[in-house]
Amino acid sequence: MAFDLPRRSVLQFIAGAAASISAPFPRAIAAGNDAATVGWPNDVPSWDPNQRFTPDAQPIFKAVFDQPLDQDPQLKLIPHLIKTWSLAPDGLSMAVELRDDVTFHNGDKMTTADFRYTFFERIKSGAKLDIANSMKKVQDIVIESPTKATMKFDSPAPTMPQWMAFLGSYVVPKNYIESGGLDNFLHKPVGTGPYKLAEYELNSRIVLERYDGYWGPKSKIARVTIQIVKDPSARVAAIQSGQVDCTINVPVREVQRFAQDPAFAAEINPITRVILLNVRADLAFADKNVRLAAHHAIDKAALSKAFYGGAAVPLSVLATPGTPGYIDDFTFKYDPALAKQLLAQSGFSTSNPVKIGFAATNGQFPSDYDIARAIVAMWKNVGIDADLQVIEYAKYFELNRGGKLPEATLYSWDNATGDPEIFSGYQLNPKMPFSPWKDEDIGNRVLGLFGVADYDKRIAGYRDLERYAVENGATMPLLQSVVTVVRKKTLSYTKYGNGWLLPQTLQWS
Amino acid sequence: MIATVTKLIARRLLAAIPILLIVSALLFCVLRALPVDPAAMSLPPNATIDEIEAKRRDMGLDRPLPEQYAIWLRGALHGDFGQSIQFRRQSGSLVAATLPATIELALAAMVLAGLLGFGGGLLLFRLRGTILEPVADLASILLLSIPEFLWALILLFVFGVALRALPFTGEVAPGLPLPHITGFLLIDSLLVGRFDVFVSACQHLILPAVALGLAFSPTIMRVLRSSLFDVYHEEYIAQARLRGLSERKILIGHALKNAALPTLTLAGVQFSILFSGTLLVEVIYSYPGMGNLMIDAVRNADLPLIQAIGLTYCVAVLLINSVVDSFYVVLNPKLRVR
Repeated sequence: MAFDLPRRSVLQFIAGAAASISAPFPRAIAAGNDAATVGWPNDVPSWDPNQRFTPDAQPIFKAVFDQPLDQDPQLKLIPHLIKTWSLAPDGLSMAVELRDDVTFHNGDKMTTADFRYTFFERIKSGAKLDIANSMKKVQDIVIESPTKATMKFDSPAPTMPQWMAFLGSYVVPKNYIESGGLDNFLHKPVGTGPYKLAEYELNSRIVLERYDGYWGPKSKIARVTIQIVKDPSARVAAIQSGQVDCTINVPVREVQRFAQDPAFAAEINPITRVILLNVRADLAFADKNVRLAAHHAIDKAALSKAFYGGAAVPLSVLATPGTPGYIDDFTFKYDPALAKQLLAQSGFSTSNPVKIGFAATNGQFPSDYDIARAIVAMWKNVGIDADLQVIEYAKYFELNRGGKLPEATLYSWDNATGDPEIFSGYQLNPKMPFSPWKDEDIGNRVLGLFGVADYDKRIAGYRDLERYAVENGATMPLLQSVVTVVRKKTLSYTKYGNGWLLPQTLQWS
Repeated sequence: MIATVTKLIARRLLAAIPILLIVSALLFCVLRALPVDPAAMSLPPNATIDEIEAKRRDMGLDRPLPEQYAIWLRGALHGDFGQSIQFRRQSGSLVAATLPATIELALAAMVLAGLLGFGGGLLLFRLRGTILEPVADLASILLLSIPEFLWALILLFVFGVALRALPFTGEVAPGLPLPHITGFLLIDSLLVGRFDVFVSACQHLILPAVALGLAFSPTIMRVLRSSLFDVYHEEYIAQARLRGLSERKILIGHALKNAALPTLTLAGVQFSILFSGTLLVEVIYSYPGMGNLMIDAVRNADLPLIQAIGLTYCVAVLLINSVVDSFYVVLNPKLRVR
């Protein structure tokens, strides 16, 4: 049987389809002042906010969920779901009082039962959660009323308040998860945050809708779409073409270009992330003179100017300016002459250089490989011949575990809390997998500080440790890292010291 | 003919079993030989070395490699490809969620590559001996030398940024819903009657599909032209001319049929390569397919997920080859007699 389509109908259909497809596509701005689209470099790993410690995902989690405590833009701890808290002098317990006006997006009231479930019951049930690690000192959470509870620890937990506002610490709904199951929660997550998750497409987009029952200040923009754009060039193109209203982590040179365009605001913001050289205590770096010479030979200000437009602050300790562990009056100076002198004491010179291995990632953080190449050139000038090799970030831990990292490795470390335990405490802890520096002297100093409950004593201890570690060449802090932001000039946000760009702070003018 | 094709596909599928076993074993061994530590990657950054060691034992990474493979294979045969380290979800479900987008993209790109390849091949052939032949030749070589990711960037900047004619991030415009029925957005949007979503999905598909299509069409173009040259030396072409048939009828009615066979074989191979070529294009266009997922998996040393995606690519290539072979049987009567 022959089936004849009328030629005119076919042509009309083709013309119609072509016209539709070639019609102007809706840009981000078309949605008006009640909506915004943000180009974001990474997706969330899961909608269980307790599950994975992923720094990039925290601003998205903070839109949908709430943390017990929060940080202000200067990173000072402030009340949030917890109204008041009191850490016992011995660090073995912490009494908390929760707000009584908080509801989850499904209407359920948030109480201490949810708090206990999140930070104790889920972990004890054996669920594979990253917060099991940060909450491992929690022995129990004793509920006194729907708003009052006491956290009990098996050993002093002086940084528990900081952890209440850090990675993975988001209160999840006990009844909703227990009655509907975890899979249901992962598909339809329910939090107490300023936005509800309206739509999610893996590796593509996250659509957030303002939660009108939110206990805190209402978000100015009703609908925020997080468009996942992993490629930095594509993010540049997306903001340039108007397909997104705002984006982060674009190359520094592009920020400088956007800054000239009156339609855009472009910023390079220093954040609580340090770029450092992790070093070994053996091989060619067994010689303290060589380590110190390597550090004195690096012109950090030149690196900042060349690769971060001068916005990355040169560092002398493993802490960023404004955080408790930072030491204002301590500078490890750039002094190539002193570097040469130290090397000469150990029998090395530019004609007889000391040979070391040097590892760096390429693309793990902005300009990492370029920084490494510049350091190799600086070292060459004083008599250090570095063999630069590129490693994948994923290989770092395996190489370190097997003692296969070279003398120096370029590394980046993020610490949104700014607390020194999570800077030098973690980086120099011989029991943790980060630093290749394995040394009893510094190791014991670090481990001793983990049990100090008194805040002032603890901070003073870390400041001493940081200076001591740098003066002995156990670590080489380089720069305070930066986050780049490009946005339409009419879209503003609240700038945080740790680089967060929170959807709830976005606002059109 | 149907029986012959069915037999051929059945034979191919049977042969695929040992191939898949070998590929999975190779993939497993290669991934385990990499200097990455899945145990460390699966724990938070503040995990101690002792905790990482305990995790290694828990994940079975301390066992001999053949034993690890046997455990993985047993799970895979029951549909369990292991839990993704990064996403903490079953790797199989992640692949299933992203595969339809990659299939849609690869099919659209292949149709474009086919149209451009056959059209361009015929044009190159028609221009033989003319003053334009060297120009056309040079153009085809130029096309051949530009890889898909470069096309992706060129098209993105020309049509996305400079002309602002087409969208280039994601699968559909912000503000439009994503229907979920079959997982194939183009089909689902029509099934739920959302023509606006369908149009937006088509708009978002154009640039990545054209980038892939442009990269894979020149090979088809050049092989078709060479095949046509060969065919035109056959006697039946001379006889057709003697019968007074026009050059157009000879080309379309006689030469193209025969020249299409080797071109089709090549197109099959190209489609297999094109399927893998979606990886970079998906990242550049933020297209939520399997290639995008693979980048995440590699970046996070997510071995179970890499293994599942690698195996899916292998299955896809085997299926494509079987389909191309069956087409070959349909088009070539000699193979049916055998």
